[in-house]
Amino acid sequence: MNRKVLKRIKRRDRIARYVITVGGMAIIFSVILILFLIARVAFPLFQGARTEMVTQFPLPSSTPAVPLVAAGLDDYREHPFVFDRDGVVRFYSPHEGPVATELRLQPPVPSARVRSVERFAGLSFGVLWDDGSQTLEQVHFTSSFDEHGKREQDQQVVRLASFPPPLSGTVKLSLVRVSEDGRQTQVTLLNDGSLLVRQHVESEDLFGNLSAESHEFALSGQPDEEIAALALSGGGNTLYAGTDQGTLLRWDLSEPGAAELRDRLPAFPDRRAITVLALVFGDVSLAVGDAKGGVSTWFPVRVNAEEEGKHLQRIHTLTSHKSAVKSIYPSLRDKSLVSMDVEGVLHLDHMTSERHLLSIETDTPLLLSSLSPDGRGLFAVDASGMAHLWEVHNPHPEVSLKTLFGKVWYEGYDAPAYMWQSSAATDDFEPKMSLTPLIFGTIKGTFYAMLFAVPLAILGAIYTSQFGNPRLRGIVKPAVEVMAAIPSVIIGFLAALWFAPLLEKSVPALFVSLAFVPLFLLLAIVAWQFICKYPLCKKLDRGFEFLLLAPVLVAAVFCAIQLGPVAESMFFGGNFQLWLFGETGTRYDARNNIIIAFALGFAVIPIIFTMAEDALSNVPPSLKAASLALGASRWQTVWRVILPSGSPGIFAGTMIGFGRAIGETMIVLMATGNTAIMDWSIFNGMRPLSSNIAVEIPEAPVDGSLYRVLFLSAVILFVMTFVLNTVAELVRQRLRNKYGRF
Amino acid sequence: MKHFWKKGEPFVWLTGAALSITLLMAAVLIVVVVVNGLGVFWPSRVVTATLQDGGAVMGEVVRSESVHEAEGERLQLKIGNRDLYGLDFRWVDESAISRLEYADDTLVLERMEYGNFYGRLVSLSSEALAVAAPGNPFSQLRQAHRHVMQQKTQLTKVDEELAVVSSRMARTQRREKSLLYKGRSASDPEFLELRQEHAALQHESEALMQRHAELAGELHAYSATFADVSGRERTMPLIELVRFYQPNSMSVFSKIQYYVVRLVELIFGSPRESNTEGGLFPAIFGTVMLIFVMSLFSFPLGVLAAIYLREYAREGLVVRMVRIAVNNLAGIPSIVYGIFGLAFFVYGIGGSIDRMFFPDQLPTPTYGTGGILWASLTLSLLTVPVVIVATEEALGAIPNGVREGSLALGATKFQTLTRILLPMASPGIMTGLILAMARAAGEVAPLMITGVVKIAPALPLDGTFPFLHLDRKFMHLGFHIYDIGFQSPNVEAAKPMVFVTTLLLVLIVLVMSSVAIYLRNKMKKRYTYGTF
Amino acid sequence: MSDTYSVTVTDPIVQVKDLSFYYGTAKALHNISLDFPKNMVTALIGPSGCGKSTLLRCLNRMNDLVDKARVEGSILLDGTEINTPAMDVIELRRRIGMVFQKSNPFPKTIYENVVYGLRIAGVRDKAVLDETVERSLRNAALWDEVKDRLHESALGMSGGQMQRLCIARAIAVNPEVVLMDEPCSALDPKSTARVEELISELREKYTIIIVTHNMQQAARVSDYTAFLYEGVMVEFGVTEALFVKPRHKQTEDYITGRFG
Repeated sequence: MNRKVLKRIKRRDRIARYVITVGGMAIIFSVILILFLIARVAFPLFQGARTEMVTQFPLPSSTPAVPLVAAGLDDYREHPFVFDRDGVVRFYSPHEGPVATELRLQPPVPSARVRSVERFAGLSFGVLWDDGSQTLEQVHFTSSFDEHGKREQDQQVVRLASFPPPLSGTVKLSLVRVSEDGRQTQVTLLNDGSLLVRQHVESEDLFGNLSAESHEFALSGQPDEEIAALALSGGGNTLYAGTDQGTLLRWDLSEPGAAELRDRLPAFPDRRAITVLALVFGDVSLAVGDAKGGVSTWFPVRVNAEEEGKHLQRIHTLTSHKSAVKSIYPSLRDKSLVSMDVEGVLHLDHMTSERHLLSIETDTPLLLSSLSPDGRGLFAVDASGMAHLWEVHNPHPEVSLKTLFGKVWYEGYDAPAYMWQSSAATDDFEPKMSLTPLIFGTIKGTFYAMLFAVPLAILGAIYTSQFGNPRLRGIVKPAVEVMAAIPSVIIGFLAALWFAPLLEKSVPALFVSLAFVPLFLLLAIVAWQFICKYPLCKKLDRGFEFLLLAPVLVAAVFCAIQLGPVAESMFFGGNFQLWLFGETGTRYDARNNIIIAFALGFAVIPIIFTMAEDALSNVPPSLKAASLALGASRWQTVWRVILPSGSPGIFAGTMIGFGRAIGETMIVLMATGNTAIMDWSIFNGMRPLSSNIAVEIPEAPVDGSLYRVLFLSAVILFVMTFVLNTVAELVRQRLRNKYGRF
Repeated sequence: MKHFWKKGEPFVWLTGAALSITLLMAAVLIVVVVVNGLGVFWPSRVVTATLQDGGAVMGEVVRSESVHEAEGERLQLKIGNRDLYGLDFRWVDESAISRLEYADDTLVLERMEYGNFYGRLVSLSSEALAVAAPGNPFSQLRQAHRHVMQQKTQLTKVDEELAVVSSRMARTQRREKSLLYKGRSASDPEFLELRQEHAALQHESEALMQRHAELAGELHAYSATFADVSGRERTMPLIELVRFYQPNSMSVFSKIQYYVVRLVELIFGSPRESNTEGGLFPAIFGTVMLIFVMSLFSFPLGVLAAIYLREYAREGLVVRMVRIAVNNLAGIPSIVYGIFGLAFFVYGIGGSIDRMFFPDQLPTPTYGTGGILWASLTLSLLTVPVVIVATEEALGAIPNGVREGSLALGATKFQTLTRILLPMASPGIMTGLILAMARAAGEVAPLMITGVVKIAPALPLDGTFPFLHLDRKFMHLGFHIYDIGFQSPNVEAAKPMVFVTTLLLVLIVLVMSSVAIYLRNKMKKRYTYGTF
Repeated sequence: MSDTYSVTVTDPIVQVKDLSFYYGTAKALHNISLDFPKNMVTALIGPSGCGKSTLLRCLNRMNDLVDKARVEGSILLDGTEINTPAMDVIELRRRIGMVFQKSNPFPKTIYENVVYGLRIAGVRDKAVLDETVERSLRNAALWDEVKDRLHESALGMSGGQMQRLCIARAIAVNPEVVLMDEPCSALDPKSTARVEELISELREKYTIIIVTHNMQQAARVSDYTAFLYEGVMVEFGVTEALFVKPRHKQTEDYITGRFG
């Protein structure tokens, strides 16, 4: 052979081997990578929070002389600021050097100093002056961009409200709120333990005239215990108080000039002192810090059905501190809380998920701390006058295994529940991302579909492979395979827009046909015994039975539809839906599980059928011949010989069909109501994992919690189908080894 | 008889019944789709029903059903005239009808907006009369409409020019933006040049717009007045009419003609009225292109992987596991592929492409958003296992003796592969490919999150540079069904279109898979030599 | 081996020296030494599973295709070791052709089947190809039967014709040695006779090594015969001598039909 040619073809072969091997391995490897990539997207859900030290700087030495009373931080984490006792607000720019911008608050009386500052909602500060008067100050940052595109921030402190000192008594604690419609509320705790409420309400009548009214009254109903902590909702509508004996009180202040005591209950069995109260973002839940370091959240719940009102109940218990809780700062972005104890240890916890996200402990105990409004910056000042600025990475605090799979007690609900409701109109909404109802929906839909599909597919496969005429088999099998190719979007569309309205009108007809189909079949078989004696019909008998049965079945269904209304008026009082609701309390959904069972069943029948048929046809014919030769009837042969040998294949087919039903998206998307309820009733819809992904992913912000939870549900789907398919594949490989080809 | 039961014969019949039910269900599905789909374009007669209370209703009878409470039937009529009545459909009790008639001069107008109009012709505007020969009003209307349609081509031409100008304007704007991004100042000569060009284009576009307005104004003068059944009149410019006919006096031949015209419009026309009327061309085009691009990826990759597995990889635990994995991949829900495509292709690769090549466009994504390329890649992942399994099966069916025969003659493995094995396996590979294509044609869920849209403004392939726009979003027949069946504001009016689309998709998929199955069954019968 | 009865061959083309062969850990051939004489027909006989096919497949390294196969010892072709990386397996297989038990024509035309070996070697000259087809088919005694349908599919031939086509295909590339692995086992007696006749004719040009379990066939067509038993070469000698007067008890038992 020509040397050159030999060299050339050998080089080609080497290149081809290299390309094919590398390419083939790469393809297979990359395809297998899918799971890892999906899982990687979902994984950060379970990562805890972490902080990154941005900077640390000593506050200018003059400040410790004048004690600090509050701290705050802007959204860009560039300008931490502190309030001191002199009423000076100092803005630092740690990135640009230790310079500070000072703004002095105008004291209500010239010599007044600041007693205490309460921070709430964003950058609002209720400043209590030592003469007993109170002002509400709001810090504003305005950003502007210079011609180089660099951002500059300007600070401003705006006074929103101001209250003079009470006429008598010394003020111990005081809270002030201004609601969106301009209502000002102040609640003052005097040294004698009495609570004073002052309200300014501006209202507009029908003609547009403004009128202002003021109310001032003392609250009654508090126990003879010392009130240690107060919390007031953002609009000033609800007041909470906690005592040193551990009593929690709740007043409704929504009616101007009147207060109603709604709750007075001992919070803890051991009557430990309550030290801090704060309202969690959204103003529904109350965070309670106690003297033993416990942090818990409470909200009003309907305790029993008869009673009208709701009462405070402990809902979530968060990680405890080692010492008494000193302050609680709720996040302004989600339901997270920063709590600090007297030893200066910080905890970041999320209420709904009850996740302890992080602890911060510095060398010198922390005195003051503040989260930035977006929750991504944390600023704290320690006892030595050192300021710390952290960046907080806390992307998915609301997700934990418990919120994903367990029952969670959500705000506004009377009991813990499995819920899926990923978004709502308001920002302070508590996302409900339990995958349990979705998994339930998947399993429910699949279960009923399999109940319908498996018997039909397997029996049909038995007939085709064992009893059917071989020529017919050559037609039936491809026909069923073609059936498998019908796009699911078409099945779903027909189920939802053609079958569902049809069924809605005649549910009883379905029940009647359930009785009629077997009845007619029975009659047909009996009748055939008499007809089949004629020689003409003999030809038809073996192998063509199913053709004979087709008109019988059609007739049965037709009669059932005709009799449906009769049955409806006889058994269901003329209207099945009403009857169902009246008798069982189940509402009839137009897109319900019966539809799904049919549609999904229709989609998986060909899959199961084809594999079961293959398995049964591959049973060696010698087995069948041996059985028949021993005088067994054709059914006995199938039942005792063929089925046991073919059962692994049938099992594998069922598993694969099961996997397909679990992952089917379009049918369930179109033909279920997509409501995430957990009810086994066949007259209800459901929301399966697959359609949930299709519905929600276009709206999910990239890398947000919802996005990752949807990826997690994709992982669950993947794992479910992976297990089913692997089992099926192992069974098939064993069969293949047994019978050679499969 | 007793013997019959003892032998278990009833169970045989039971299995037969199961098969019967399965096939009947499939038949019902096909029949429902075919019956509902085929009849849509057949012009049905329009009935005028005079009611007992003196009123009258005109429309096509959609269906009738028996009334629950009372005796008799009730009819659902498609009454059209959405601009007058607000609703397209109306139920009329048969008992309330005093007379039904089919007036010959009843006219059905298919309009650009508001759906059909049922009524009769009252008069034509003087401009319209001027271009029509005297005769009966209907043929005058026909002539005037033809005239307007001819004139309309000018308008279309202007529109096309406008589109070209505006795309050029968009391009200059993009270049300005990228110059700015590169740090050029606003006084840079290149920048000023662009500004000038932009201004010129602006001028041109304004002139064209003016021309458009003039032409449109002229055309709108050709109008006609129609009256509905109760005599309410409505004047409509002829340019708003797509076509019109008098169904009650049409011959079978002209009905067939009408049917064919509608079919042609279906396949080559663009959709109207939020997809519920008009044609499917963009959706058909999108589907075909999607399948094509998908095959471009999945076919070579799948065949390569199968060749590796069957011919090059050493049989062992690893190959067994890989085979399990491949079979598994065929069973992974398509929505999982979709979500993977979103994360990996759209946000991962697409996002990187944007950051590398189109940083001046950010934050507007170019490739970092759904598009036909990403949808095709996602689908090709989904269909690769189908191709792998089919190719492997085809290669596995070739007797080993053939391989040895070739090798014993001094052929290399690669020569054996290309000269003997691949040609022998080609029907099997074709089967796999066609099955994969059929699957891709019917798959919707993964597309919904990787780039399919309700209405795509432009096709992914067109006359503007660079001609092939793989970053564009596209339309798809399967998604079209979902969209108009479930997302359209007027589901009842959209139903005929859904059924037509369904019929088309079913036909495509069934033909493809029938061919594939036929090929495969034919292949199974070959290579039987050497086994005697 | 000490108890091996062997004759010395004067003009060997293939020399097997102390060859052992393993499938994984199972040893299929035990230290076989054997010289195949040039332009003669050598038959390998023995009961099923004795390793005769394995030995044959070692000669053109077809066993390379088997996973976990291992060869010890040496095989020389014209004095050159074949089991070395330096020996090109493609070259080797072109010098040692092979015919299989099951005829395996490619699903191509008769013509293309015959010229396959030339085509893969890059021969494109039509005249050469035509000439080779006629020569090979004539040598395989098939020319007259198929000369009118050279461009029809080879799969339409009878079983015996297919096998002869495979022989024609093997000799089209002018090998020095042709290995035949039970070439007649799947053929009817008439076809078998034709193939045997063919083998006798081919010996003039080629060295033929044939594996057979049919002792009459071995006796009819071969010049030398080797008897293998359980992977061991028991006896090797001139065919007539071996059949008439076997020197080893096992050989005698086998050829007289006491076992196997």
